[in-house]
Amino acid sequence: MATETAEHASGSGFPPFDQIMDTGVSQVFWLIVTFAVLYFAVANVFLPKIRKAVEDRDGAIKRDVAEAAVLSGKADESVKQFEAQIAAARANARDTASKAKAEADAKTAAATAAKEAELNARLAAAEARISDTRAKAMANVSAVAEDAAAAIAEKLTGAKPSPAAVKAAVAGAMGG
Amino acid sequence: MRIATDPMHQFQIGKWFDLNIGGYDISFTNSAFWMVVGVLLVIGFLALATSKMSTVPNRVQSLAEIWYGFIAGIVKDVNHAPGKPFIPLVFTLFAFIFIANIIGMFPYFFTTTSHIAVTGFMAIFTIGLVIVVGLMKKGLGFFKIFVPSGVPFVLLLIVTPIEIISFLSRPISLGMRLFANMLGGHVALKVFAGFIPSLAVALGGIGMLMGGLLVMPLIVGVTALEFLVAFLQAYVFAMLTCVYLNDALGEAH
Repeated sequence: MATETAEHASGSGFPPFDQIMDTGVSQVFWLIVTFAVLYFAVANVFLPKIRKAVEDRDGAIKRDVAEAAVLSGKADESVKQFEAQIAAARANARDTASKAKAEADAKTAAATAAKEAELNARLAAAEARISDTRAKAMANVSAVAEDAAAAIAEKLTGAKPSPAAVKAAVAGAMGG
Repeated sequence: MRIATDPMHQFQIGKWFDLNIGGYDISFTNSAFWMVVGVLLVIGFLALATSKMSTVPNRVQSLAEIWYGFIAGIVKDVNHAPGKPFIPLVFTLFAFIFIANIIGMFPYFFTTTSHIAVTGFMAIFTIGLVIVVGLMKKGLGFFKIFVPSGVPFVLLLIVTPIEIISFLSRPISLGMRLFANMLGGHVALKVFAGFIPSLAVALGGIGMLMGGLLVMPLIVGVTALEFLVAFLQAYVFAMLTCVYLNDALGEAH
């Protein structure tokens, strides 16, 4: 310890106070120089760079979030559009189906009506033929009856009755 | 090495080159050298961190960003929006003190913040800045900080001198706190470390064993504590700078 103090006679016990007169100015000078260099480097070069990076990142995040919101809105819209399209297609399909059904019904009804009309016509024709035949047959019957009545009357009476009287008598008897 | 025995020797300033400007001795000393080294280390780190700035940061860049966010956070919390122009200053103060303290943790390196000339000047500079900024922003209204509002006149007679004294004691406490912490911690480390050779000399092998088993863990613990103190004192200095700046920037209290 003794040699130490002898070696540093100028500042032995407590250098921070003992040496302040010798080296204080030097310390403060170099403090100012180095601190100023660091301050200007930090203030003009490094902090703006770091701040810009941080702000850029914040901006990028905000931009991405906004973009995501827009895209999500668009997706929602597409879903809505899609749903609307599906609903329209469904309505369309229903429409088409009901139209087809109505058409088919109409066709069937028309075919049925046509068949019915045809059948009715044939029925009517058949009835007409029957009544015609019957009329013809009836006409033959009255002619035969007139002949037979005239012959019978001639045999009985000997006198030939007039055809008009025979006709009237037969008609009266048959119309009876 | 003689250096091992004297706990105060590590604080000795030695001239490396003589320099003299205008009659003032501004010789380049070991203190100046380590200041230069510290500043170069900080600049080197920041240059490395900001060399390839990208939106997705690499490790060094995110370290620098965390550091910036830490300082900007203090300034924002204490000074709010008006403190923004002072972020570079607080950042520089913190960086300068922190790197000086950390450099001091290495054996044979010189701790520039262990001298009152350095810490005292930084403290006086800080308080001077507070006064200048206060006068620029508020004019003579700045002196209202000595006269708290809502205090009866009679009490003001007592409170105002107290406020003035507390204001004037700020640079002293600010500079003294840092200087004393660094000096005290390093002295303690040195003294504890000195126990081991002393014990070895006094007690021989048993002394060496005792030193190894008892003192060494203590030294390890104190060293860890000193790393904490190195950070904490830089943080405290930066924080208090913000708090004092608030007198100049914020509302009068």
